[in-house]
Amino acid sequence: MPRHLLVERLGRYLYEKIRHLVHYKRGDRDLHTKMTFRATVDAVIPRTPELEAELGPEHVPGGLDIGLAEYLVTYVNHGFQLGFPQLGPRGTLSFARPVAKALDVAALKLVLRGHNAEPPSRTFVRPLIEADATASTSLFAAAGPFARLSPEDRLRAIGIVDDIEISVARSEDELFEFNGGLVGQLVVGFAKLIYYSEWQGYENYDEPPSTRIFSDDPGAVQSWRQTGFPGIANGYPALRGYLGTETGSLGDGEVWTTVDVAAEPPVHILHEPGRFRENDYETADFEEVFPEETT
Amino acid sequence: MVADAYDAVIVGAGADGPVVAWKLAEAGLSVLVLEAGPFHGNKQWPKPHEDPGAESSSSLDDLSGELLDEQFTTREFEMVNNLLFGPADHRRGFWMRKFPGDGAILQCAGVGGTTLHYTGCHPRAYPAAIDEQGHWPIDYADLIPYYQELEAICEVAPAPVTAKEEVFFRGAAAAGWNLIDEANVTDPGYRPQPNAIRQPDEVLHVDAGYDGDYSAADLTGHTLAVSDISGDPHPRGAPFEEKAKRSSNVSFVPLALGTGNVTIRPNAFVVDVATDGGPTPEATGVTFRDTWSGAVASVDAEVVVLAAGAIETPRLWLNAGLPENEWVGRGLTIHFGDNVMGLWDEDELEGLLGRRTVEQQEGEDIAARFDYPGLGMLQTVGTTPGIGAILGFGASASGFAFQNDTTGEPWDTTGRLVGQELKRLLAGYRRMVQVLVVSDDRPHRRNGVTVQRGVADEHGPIPLVNYRPSEADRKRRDELARIAADILRAAGATHVHRSDSPPTALHLHSTMRMGKVVDDACEAYDVDRLFVADHSVLANGLGGPNPTLTGQAVAARAAEHIQERYFAP
Ligand SMILES: Cc1cc2nc3c(=O)[nH]c(=O)nc-3n(C[C@H](O)[C@H](O)[C@H](O)COP(=O)(O)OP(=O)(O)OC[C@H]3O[C@@H](n4cnc5c(N)ncnc54)[C@H](O)[C@@H]3O)c2cc1C
Repeated sequence: MPRHLLVERLGRYLYEKIRHLVHYKRGDRDLHTKMTFRATVDAVIPRTPELEAELGPEHVPGGLDIGLAEYLVTYVNHGFQLGFPQLGPRGTLSFARPVAKALDVAALKLVLRGHNAEPPSRTFVRPLIEADATASTSLFAAAGPFARLSPEDRLRAIGIVDDIEISVARSEDELFEFNGGLVGQLVVGFAKLIYYSEWQGYENYDEPPSTRIFSDDPGAVQSWRQTGFPGIANGYPALRGYLGTETGSLGDGEVWTTVDVAAEPPVHILHEPGRFRENDYETADFEEVFPEETT
Repeated sequence: MVADAYDAVIVGAGADGPVVAWKLAEAGLSVLVLEAGPFHGNKQWPKPHEDPGAESSSSLDDLSGELLDEQFTTREFEMVNNLLFGPADHRRGFWMRKFPGDGAILQCAGVGGTTLHYTGCHPRAYPAAIDEQGHWPIDYADLIPYYQELEAICEVAPAPVTAKEEVFFRGAAAAGWNLIDEANVTDPGYRPQPNAIRQPDEVLHVDAGYDGDYSAADLTGHTLAVSDISGDPHPRGAPFEEKAKRSSNVSFVPLALGTGNVTIRPNAFVVDVATDGGPTPEATGVTFRDTWSGAVASVDAEVVVLAAGAIETPRLWLNAGLPENEWVGRGLTIHFGDNVMGLWDEDELEGLLGRRTVEQQEGEDIAARFDYPGLGMLQTVGTTPGIGAILGFGASASGFAFQNDTTGEPWDTTGRLVGQELKRLLAGYRRMVQVLVVSDDRPHRRNGVTVQRGVADEHGPIPLVNYRPSEADRKRRDELARIAADILRAAGATHVHRSDSPPTALHLHSTMRMGKVVDDACEAYDVDRLFVADHSVLANGLGGPNPTLTGQAVAARAAEHIQERYFAP
């Protein structure tokens, strides 16, 4: 397609999109946020049927299969707070919607720069609702520019979200801007923390800590089945000993194994602990490896 | 009950505040410690994240190991949310800070401060960083007596070896490095971490056939389940003071309460420092806000000690409108870090360890280190999978791994890992060893904390943090990352991944530097009777070693100066 046509089409698309965003009703907005978060989760921790042959069937399911996107929306909405004392002590910022918007802006920027590898398409939206029996056409329609990117292009868009400043306002005189770096942290970093943690193992994580029910069954957490993490433990009989030599102070007792035979004296793992030596020290011959002016 | 006036009010019960509290109280002064976060393991607050509980605690009898066991579940997601810097109320989110790029600041709120997360590593500074880098107005030798005293109290000793440390030590030796057995480190080499953690019971030796429940009925010391970052209350059933990890709530808080002269008031966020109006102002007290009720109260003091950590101490100074000084908030060092991870084949491990997995969830979290004065340090870290995924693969300054070419580099992949690659690598969780790069970044005036009117939370303008490493800072870190990759390769790793992390702050210091903002007794040059005794007074990043022992040593030293200057008989 000739470049000017592409730009024109994008322009129209952008216009429609922005008009659309402005006119979203509240319900639609929530659906749009949900779809955008599903799109990030699907890019960061996707279903991976490719891994079945290599690693086994337990490595197939991804974040969408355990409702990670929906929880991420809640977490991002309740996770931070900022300065609205007149709203009482619990004035939290609802970040999810601005985050979703920022991802859309990043997606549009990516496409305008021509840095996407595949053209945006509704076909990339379909997998986001496949696992969801309750999904409706309105959910499908709520997919914004970000959700229409291919999973890899979504990551590229997250990669350029850093230079976008995002504003969250509760009222005229309270405007908070945060930089897009936080977006990557939330939708990539926190998504991974939650997915690979024990989160799925609670029956009721939204309850107060003292009433949460958690079954420490390593089989109950999808990601633990994938990492082989054996669950929360009180201890392990894993002591090998203490590093040391037969003449030094560090370790003591019998040799359990030798770490460095060639060293003089050889370095072992010994049965008993020792201590560090209170040595004299000399710093006059210190040389900077990479010198730097002192401030 | 909190009284109207004390000899000393200390802001923050983190790593360092309790040391000052203990020293001053031991000398007979009355001390109030105001802490923004909750008090865990205390009978006055049986549900510290759900109910406001009592007002304050002044008695050793309030401490309860049983409650700590209940509250510190060691479940990583829950614990991160409970401990990170935010109000006690579990329904509320973290307190916001602005940090550049997609890095982050990791600090805790609560009695114990960030030592609730810390992994107990308690090495001394590198002597050359104090004596040769030109930042410090005092000598390394001045610190040694304090080091010795605090090492004894915190029971610092060489950390035990489990499989992941053995892998690292074998790699370091094979890469040609020497063993260090010294407390004062001047040359490169590897050694066990000097940890403020009671050593594990010998019944946990791999050959001893232990088959118990790891409770205090059976054993003492660390139970070798990676859980230090998640609070580590082991051994379960042990009294509060007998927990293996000697965080400041376990070590110094009981000492402080034991004097009978200390009151700790959690859930109290200090928002202002009062001064008289003299030409050189004098601090006369502070104002704090209850984080549950929002109620505000003031208290008078003969001396005020700021120990709110390297971000909040300068924020408080700035928000309180204390005198301007071009170094307040400036010179932040964060040990600009990185993460390098090695993955092994089962057969390779069989030859190396005599078993087919590493099992990084076993052992103390951080128990092996590599020192290189002039560059910084490396340390192995075992993590539970969620924290591992966010620390190791969650963020990167160089984008996603699929976008990066690694030809000619000592790592196979670099950048943020996602999708299939992430899942494949984490499928090897039990066969990996992670190494943290902790570099000797230097204080630069552009880096630090500022505030801006309007960008505020319920405690005033929030901290806006800037951090950009210099060319030389980057080179030190990159050189350490290479050494880490070499060590992992020398130990036979089949895949090495480097995060190339964006600036992320676990160690924060030097925003209120000794010699710039405070004198060598830690009293502010521009405000009398106002002391700073936390990691912000450290004049540089100590050369790279974990900072807590030195922060506490400087705090202990400051407490003696406070007595001499204002309370001498
Ligand atoms: C995961 C992790 C692992 C670590 N491991 C190690 C390690 O092994 N070894 C090591 O040396 N270091 C380690 N560190 C770093 C170490 O924990 C910190 O350097 C140290 O705790 C800093 O001490 P501090 O007293 O300056 O601040 P903090 O310990 O952060 O304490 C400051 C306290 O002040 C409170 N506060 C803040 N503002 C206010 C206010 N306005 N009013 C009242 N209270 C306030 C905070 O809630 C907090 O409790 C680790 C850090 C992390 C995140």
